[in-house]
Amino acid sequence: MSDFSVEANGLTKYFGDYKAVDHVSLAVPTGSIYGVLGPNGAGKTTSLRMTLGIIDPDEGSSRLLGGHKPQSVRNRIGYLPEERGLYPGMKAREAIAFMGALRGLDWSEGRRRAAGFMTELGLERVIDEKIRKMSKGMAQMIQLIGSIVHAPDLIVLDEPFSGLDPVNQERLEMLVRRERDRGATILFSTHVMAHAERLCDRIAIIARSARRFEGTVDEARALLPMQVRYTPRTAGAPAAVAANLPAGADLRGDAWHFAIQDADVEPLLARITASGHGVTGLSISRPGLHDAFVHIVRQVDAGFDADATEDAVEEASA
Amino acid sequence: MTPFLRSMFVVARRDFLAIVATPTFLLFLLAPLFMVAMTLAGGMGASQLADSARGAGRIVAIADAADVEALRAADRRLRDAFRRGEAPPPLEFRVAAPDAPDPIAITREKGTDTYAVMSGPLESPRIVERNAEGSAGRYLALLANQALRDRAAGDVVPVKPRFESIQRGGTSIAVQQSLGFGAVFIIFLLTLLLAGQTVSSLAEEKGNKVIEILAAAVPLESVFLGKLLGMLGVAVLFIAFWMIVAIGGGLVAATQMDPAAIAAAGKAGKATAALASMPATGWPFFLGIGFAYFILSFLLLGAVFLGVGAQAGSVREIQMLSLPITIFQVGMFSLSAAAASAPGSSLATFAQIFPFSSPLAMAARAASDDAKAVHLLALGWQAIWVALVIFLSVRLFRSGVLSSGSGWKFWRREKRG
Repeated sequence: MSDFSVEANGLTKYFGDYKAVDHVSLAVPTGSIYGVLGPNGAGKTTSLRMTLGIIDPDEGSSRLLGGHKPQSVRNRIGYLPEERGLYPGMKAREAIAFMGALRGLDWSEGRRRAAGFMTELGLERVIDEKIRKMSKGMAQMIQLIGSIVHAPDLIVLDEPFSGLDPVNQERLEMLVRRERDRGATILFSTHVMAHAERLCDRIAIIARSARRFEGTVDEARALLPMQVRYTPRTAGAPAAVAANLPAGADLRGDAWHFAIQDADVEPLLARITASGHGVTGLSISRPGLHDAFVHIVRQVDAGFDADATEDAVEEASA
Repeated sequence: MTPFLRSMFVVARRDFLAIVATPTFLLFLLAPLFMVAMTLAGGMGASQLADSARGAGRIVAIADAADVEALRAADRRLRDAFRRGEAPPPLEFRVAAPDAPDPIAITREKGTDTYAVMSGPLESPRIVERNAEGSAGRYLALLANQALRDRAAGDVVPVKPRFESIQRGGTSIAVQQSLGFGAVFIIFLLTLLLAGQTVSSLAEEKGNKVIEILAAAVPLESVFLGKLLGMLGVAVLFIAFWMIVAIGGGLVAATQMDPAAIAAAGKAGKATAALASMPATGWPFFLGIGFAYFILSFLLLGAVFLGVGAQAGSVREIQMLSLPITIFQVGMFSLSAAAASAPGSSLATFAQIFPFSSPLAMAARAASDDAKAVHLLALGWQAIWVALVIFLSVRLFRSGVLSSGSGWKFWRREKRG
């Protein structure tokens, strides 16, 4: 058994002349929760579809659950597509059992588990209600249950949180953690950093068709210097205070804000203590995943803009 | 059961239930009632029209009093050889007299159509007729000829014919061919009514986005085949329903009718004559193989329509597609009908081999040719084509709709390079 549930290598996809996905590789450790983050239209969905073998990549390959081709292990995979869809005429219980049956689960077992899941998620009122009578969020929860009802080893969720209210988002996080505890590997895409930060063991950031980062959440956050917020006890003489701080420190209200390299923390503390301005407030912390994400995406965008400018210059000179 | 078949049946089950468990399905099931009612109304009107038109015509002979009896006797004898409906219009006599009206005046008399009027001596009659192509004038000339011959020959002993049926010796080729045509027609009609729906069956999944769930969970081939199977289930249910209605209706009618009347009808009725005659392969085999060919015809055409419909992007496109599809079906029908009426011809052989007309043409062949093994071959051949069409449809669907063209659209790849 391989240590990775998903091994996708160099996935590339063209739509016409547009390179929608450019050599994206994903390695998801078995039993982990893995997030694929990226702005809208970055190629997350296409990457997941190729990973699951729903569409064929133009280049690259995908192996799941220990080196199998995606098609040969369909019944051990659960998938929630980005474009939600259920048969509106079906009852919730039947819809879930149908999705389970597609993955090889027995119909009656599917119905039984459907009722269990729905009760647990506070949906017992609508077990025998038709999908068309439900709200969008409810239908989405039904579909989510449908994609995990057969207890798959690998669960792939494309933007699972979008369209859910905070209570349901909370329930979904709970569900994801429980599935992981059951032994499943979860791969999901999102552009909401809060969920990724709370849930993910590892993340990959995809921007402009290519993978720009891969690692743990902390590693991503470590890409940015630590942020310091310092409030001196003596209010006057800002220039004197600033002399002890790195260049570029910014005074907002009473507090100074500035970034700092990891190695400079202790010297800074020593300087502040020695300066005699005192300390009423001091926090040194990593920026959130949100900032790291924006930082990475901006860098990529800046690179592209530079390219575009160069192209324009070349075209103009030609 | 293999996973492929399993998922195919899951899809088929869903489709079948989704279609059957709706109020609209009742309307669909009972739709033939409207057709029967329309046909009855139309047929009654038409036959009444024909009856009233037929009653209005006549032919007229103006003859000497001495000749009238001879002409009447000849008319009675000749008329006997015609079937009802094909006989010339009734013959009226006028005795020739100096003040008798002119033939042209007779044709102008109101209240009835006069097709021809004969006047003058029998040896050289003058015949005025309405339609030079028609037979009324020539019939009058034949009557005059007969009357003259009778007179010349004197009394002849009437012929006493003894009629014997040749049906015992085997079914006539004409009846077998019309059985074959009937099989072609019934299979065609059922396929036309039922298989056309497959064209829109993938539109549902594309509309409500379920297609991605299906595509992720099971091979697309089993989605396509499952949908086809679901529709086939609906078609078989439809046919079974009407078979039961027909058989039940027949039984009720039989208990209501006088046994003597049935016996009398049994001797004369045309339908019973057809029933008494045999298709070359025998009734049980003919019906069985006919049903098998219906299934394959449904699967073949259904697979084509499903594949074509899967390419359509919108409901409007599907509506536009229904015309070429109907024309395609009618084309297959004409080909097979032509083949049914000319068994053994090269056209028939072509229709039997060409995959999409093969089920129809082979059903017709079962009526006129007693070879049975060839049907097994044909069924296999058609099944291969069902598989091939599904395979191609899925490739096209993957590369086109799911934009997953992995080298299938090779020209696009070259362009990129």
